[in-house]
Amino acid sequence: MGENLPRVPGGAQLHSDTLHGPVRTLRVKMVILGSSGVGKSSLALRFVRDEFKNPSPTVGCAYLTRVVHLSDVTLRFEIWDTAGQEKYHSVTPLYYRGAHAALVVYDISKRETFVRAQVWLKELEKQYIPGSTVMCLVGNKGDLDQERQISVQEGQALASDRSLFFTETSVLSGDQISELLLGIAHRVYECIGGQQGGLSEWKETPLIDLHHRDTFTPFASCCKVGP
Amino acid sequence: MSQRTERRGIHVDQSDLLCKKGCGYYGNAAWQGLCSKCWREEYQRVRQKQIQDDWALAEKLQREEEAAYASSHGVQTQSHAQSTPPHPGHASLGPFSKFEEKKTNEKTRKVTTVKKFFSPSSRSAPKKETQEGKTTSPSISRHASFETDQVSRDFVDFLKNLQKPGREIHKQCRAFIVNMSSKKDLSAEELSECVQDFYQGMADRLMSHFKGSSDSVEQVMDQVEKYIMTRLYKSVFCPETTDDEKKDLATQNRIRALHWVTIQMLCVSMDEEIPEVSENVVKAITDIIEMDSKRVPRDKLACITRCSKHIFSAIRITKNEPASADDFLPALIYIVLKANPPRLQSNIQYITRFCNPSRLMTGEDGYYFTNLCCAAAFIEKLDAQSLNLSPEEFERYMSGQASPRLNSSEGDWAQTGSALSVTATNPVLAQLNHNLELLSGLSSKQEKLMEAAQSLQADLLSWPESVEREVHDILEKYPLEILSCTVSAIDANNVDNDNLPPPLTPQVFAG
Ligand SMILES: Nc1nc2c(ncn2[C@@H]2O[C@H](COP(=O)(O)OP(=O)(O)O)[C@@H](O)[C@H]2O)c(=O)[nH]1
Ligand SMILES: [Mg+2]
Ligand SMILES: [Zn+2]
Repeated sequence: MGENLPRVPGGAQLHSDTLHGPVRTLRVKMVILGSSGVGKSSLALRFVRDEFKNPSPTVGCAYLTRVVHLSDVTLRFEIWDTAGQEKYHSVTPLYYRGAHAALVVYDISKRETFVRAQVWLKELEKQYIPGSTVMCLVGNKGDLDQERQISVQEGQALASDRSLFFTETSVLSGDQISELLLGIAHRVYECIGGQQGGLSEWKETPLIDLHHRDTFTPFASCCKVGP
Repeated sequence: MSQRTERRGIHVDQSDLLCKKGCGYYGNAAWQGLCSKCWREEYQRVRQKQIQDDWALAEKLQREEEAAYASSHGVQTQSHAQSTPPHPGHASLGPFSKFEEKKTNEKTRKVTTVKKFFSPSSRSAPKKETQEGKTTSPSISRHASFETDQVSRDFVDFLKNLQKPGREIHKQCRAFIVNMSSKKDLSAEELSECVQDFYQGMADRLMSHFKGSSDSVEQVMDQVEKYIMTRLYKSVFCPETTDDEKKDLATQNRIRALHWVTIQMLCVSMDEEIPEVSENVVKAITDIIEMDSKRVPRDKLACITRCSKHIFSAIRITKNEPASADDFLPALIYIVLKANPPRLQSNIQYITRFCNPSRLMTGEDGYYFTNLCCAAAFIEKLDAQSLNLSPEEFERYMSGQASPRLNSSEGDWAQTGSALSVTATNPVLAQLNHNLELLSGLSSKQEKLMEAAQSLQADLLSWPESVEREVHDILEKYPLEILSCTVSAIDANNVDNDNLPPPLTPQVFAG
């Protein structure tokens, strides 16, 4: 499974578990915004299906999780898909409260989705607390090059203006998908990971037996009687 | 086992194999050289003592709990409330006893709000409570909620495993509740801040106690939340200082006014004609309604999550592929419109104010909760455009002048194709429709029955005639001939009768 997981070059081979104790797992909330039909849901699914271990979701693909290993930390992405239909735009800000990463997606073959993306970016900036959210502009359907309405330069320029992470992807071909996720992972960890209370820790098995945590264990007696 | 080793020729002293208690049975190394019976007794004795110790501690905590409750409600008459005054100081309680110091050392705003609870102003609180105690019967409020008592007991049971720190947690939670009950005039935001600060302070101290094991902290914090919020629920849910109640009413009326909205208008991909889908829809509605009955924010969240999962199942069954957000949100809106969940706004506000914030902003529960907030906001703002209707149409539906269900069939809805869409949108109408069908089936059966009865009656009327006719026919065919004949006794011809002996007569024998 290791081959399929994006890892930091160089650091990837090191097994931090054995060298520096267990790797922490931090939770990252990532929201995907964009017009209807740009490929938000497909992108979210692709992020997850890319991961070898993760079976395709059985019930829904509105909320998905994906683990990304960096050299000294593991990020557990909680991917929030949003309803893209025009009529839900007024309530969408509720989704990106407290998000660590926000992907604004447009379809390179549809100009109106690019215009809409700019509206999303403005909205996000209204709520933006510096250093709290990594924003990213994504031009999807890169495979539809012959129907392209937005040039790479145009997308890049919009992103540069606002110093955002930018990439063109194709969910269809899988192009740049894992690079995108890994890029976000790095940025999130660099920008937010170091902050106090920036990312909270994730525990695989939140239920442990408190009885055995303390100095005095009520059932220690049975062990004493036994062998 | 022991027999076998002897047979192999290894010398084992018989006494080594016997029970160490000297009861004469064989012992076993796994039972520390005791026989099963003695071992069980020994084990039982140690466990028994442990259980007794636990109980003693639990009872002590319980008494303190009750004393605290009584004092916060101005009830000093309960004897045990006075017999065990809370211990004034715990010098040897490790990280917890340092809490007060730590608090004063830190300079953040967060800590100053925690301080409010231990400031002189809060100490005057019980007096105020005493006055209130006169107006409301303490015995009634004491037994007002069985649930509250159960939660308190569970909390004590949980904490006794933590021994001393458990007591300290308990003490602080109690103090917090007492202080909170004197802060009724605070705004909802301030109440929320107090609770959140308390959570934060408690979590910080637990973190240092458990030496950074965040899962243990989380587990304790869940119990703390459960205990505190069950206790505070009545005073902080939909508090008078807010307009939560007004919003609830507004939302409720709004949803009622939108009763005409169909599943098609919302573009929901759930086909309620499929039994499994409608089953999930009903469950989703039940879950979202149930939310209001829970007290603990986390339990309310769990209802939302269960509701959402049922919606996902319904969509999945309908579309035969996993539901995306585009499917989910409209479906949730539809469920909320159908359920009209009691006190929706109050519940959303309560969860927002008193739940651990990380649980709302992240995680799966957080995702569903956010969607519920979106649904509520959408319903509030919903207009013609959001349903792909013209403003005129929307107005007519809203004012009740027209109903989308009556449009095509002009009131003849039970017989035309629109009946399908009607039944698809409203379970009550579906039921009505079903009942109507049953009724019409019954009446046609009754008609048939009447017909049969009438024909039976006609048959009955004609029967004597036909019989008469038949008799007549027969009489005509075979006319009656009366033959003259002498009447005689049946034994008239029997000549031998006179020769028969006389009948036997009873005889009496002297005895
Ligand atoms: N050609 C092409 N089609 C795509 C790509 N990504 C998504 N689609 C298609 O675009 C349509 C809309 O995708 P969806 O994920 O539902 O968009 P959403 O409304 O933003 O969630 C679907 O038919 C997808 O198959 C892509 O990279 N290339
Ligand atoms: Mg989608
Ligand atoms: Zn014995």
